[in-house]
Amino acid sequence: MSDIHSKNPRTLGRGICIITGASKGFGHALAHEVSHLLKAGSILLLVARSESLLQELKQELQSFTEEQQLVVRCIAVDLSTREGAHETVMVAKQEAVNEMDHVLLINNAGSLGDISQFASFTDLDKVNSYLSLNVSSALVLTAGMLQAFPCRPDLRWSIVNVSSVFALQALPSWVLYCTAKAARKMMFNVLAEEEPNVKVLSYSPGPMDTEMQKDIQRLTGTKNNLFPCQESAAKLMKLLLDNEFPSGTHVDFFTV
Amino acid sequence: MSSSERADLGRALCVITGASRGFGRTTAIEMSRLVKPGSVLVLVARSADDLRSLQAELAESEAGKAGLLVKCVVADLAQMEGPESVVSASKEVFSEDLDHIILVNNAASLGDVSRFAKSFTNMAEVDSYLSFNVSSSLCLTASILQAFPQRPGLRRTVINVTSLCALKPFCSWVLYCTGKAAREMMFRVLAEEEPDLRVLNYSPGPLDTDMQLVARSRTGDPSLRKTFSDMFAEGRLLTCEASCVKLMKLLLEDTYTSGAHVDVFDL
Repeated sequence: MSDIHSKNPRTLGRGICIITGASKGFGHALAHEVSHLLKAGSILLLVARSESLLQELKQELQSFTEEQQLVVRCIAVDLSTREGAHETVMVAKQEAVNEMDHVLLINNAGSLGDISQFASFTDLDKVNSYLSLNVSSALVLTAGMLQAFPCRPDLRWSIVNVSSVFALQALPSWVLYCTAKAARKMMFNVLAEEEPNVKVLSYSPGPMDTEMQKDIQRLTGTKNNLFPCQESAAKLMKLLLDNEFPSGTHVDFFTV
Repeated sequence: MSSSERADLGRALCVITGASRGFGRTTAIEMSRLVKPGSVLVLVARSADDLRSLQAELAESEAGKAGLLVKCVVADLAQMEGPESVVSASKEVFSEDLDHIILVNNAASLGDVSRFAKSFTNMAEVDSYLSFNVSSSLCLTASILQAFPQRPGLRRTVINVTSLCALKPFCSWVLYCTGKAAREMMFRVLAEEEPDLRVLNYSPGPLDTDMQLVARSRTGDPSLRKTFSDMFAEGRLLTCEASCVKLMKLLLEDTYTSGAHVDVFDL
């Protein structure tokens, strides 16, 4: 009997977990954390553009996941294309042949964009391309998954939006990133309002030791005090395990 | 009336998008009354006919007769050429004796409000919506700021027509809320970056326009749809004029905090 109705389940159930941007950084750490919390018969879908990095990750998880009877699939796609989201949904449907008791979608894939003066953003195609990856793809993938795995009483549905303090705070030269994060936060808030049977969490992971942070340092000269991805990923897992957050809430790493 | 409230908006180049109907059209008319002779209005929309009729109306007005120049730019802002054509038209009509650049980012669309977030599986639809409602206002604003850089004696004001939907989620309105939240943050970043620029996120309130007609007849969420149609039935919609007058007051007083969200009902 599934324990999804227990206030503090120690696992994330027998689930299908989809992590985008899984090849590096926070997504990579999430894959490791999640794999320990999914029960036998679960499926972990790792989505990113790099086939080789995804396969490497799968290898890292292999010994543990075999033992755990966790199926790991790599989907190398560009989510900013319609084919990318579509294929991810197709694979998810194909893999989930047995009844799952949890669908966990972690919308993590994202990019920094140009860090540049507002007045420099005159190229419509560039801005569109940025918003397509960072905003549209998250909505399209989420919608596709919700349709593929319709809500039903014994199915726990969790959606994570990997957010940022910059969804709330305006930072000079960061117009693309701030705009996209603010857009996503609202988008997932609307989803939370519309879908009472889905738990939606916007999680701001804090400054982590990732390539994105290296880019930030290189482009802005700012050196932040960085945390290991694993530490932030573990905090997100705690939030999901406790499952006490109100749907639609925005939680920051520093408050967990 | 504040002693520091100006009587007019100066000799201005004023660019208004979505000027063919609704709030944009009213803004063009109200602006024309507050800018000094020698000013220019650049009116942007897709409908050539509607723009021309507005242009004719303005030509016949007191302001028109006193020397207001009105230029129409028929453009689809969601295409690369759209913002570009607005900027080149603006440069054409600019003269060195103008002392105020005003950009009113008003053009917007509701998106399909009959549907819920989980129905948006079409990437092209979402991309297209964001292109028109978010990207185009960023690119247009950036291009105008580049074309008319900061210099002594030149005031620059950027207005974003926002909404309560930028702050609060509404069922079946995912695209509109997302677009408005995105724009609001965008203009907040601009305000942080450019302290010499005046940036106003103005929320005009529930207006009696074609957009409201769609809202009250097509909104998918039944209780939200009822809220909109009750507003209409009970005469609680604002006229564009009533809201626009408040916007003009804000601009004349010029005391708003740059980047702040100001709602018509705050005044």
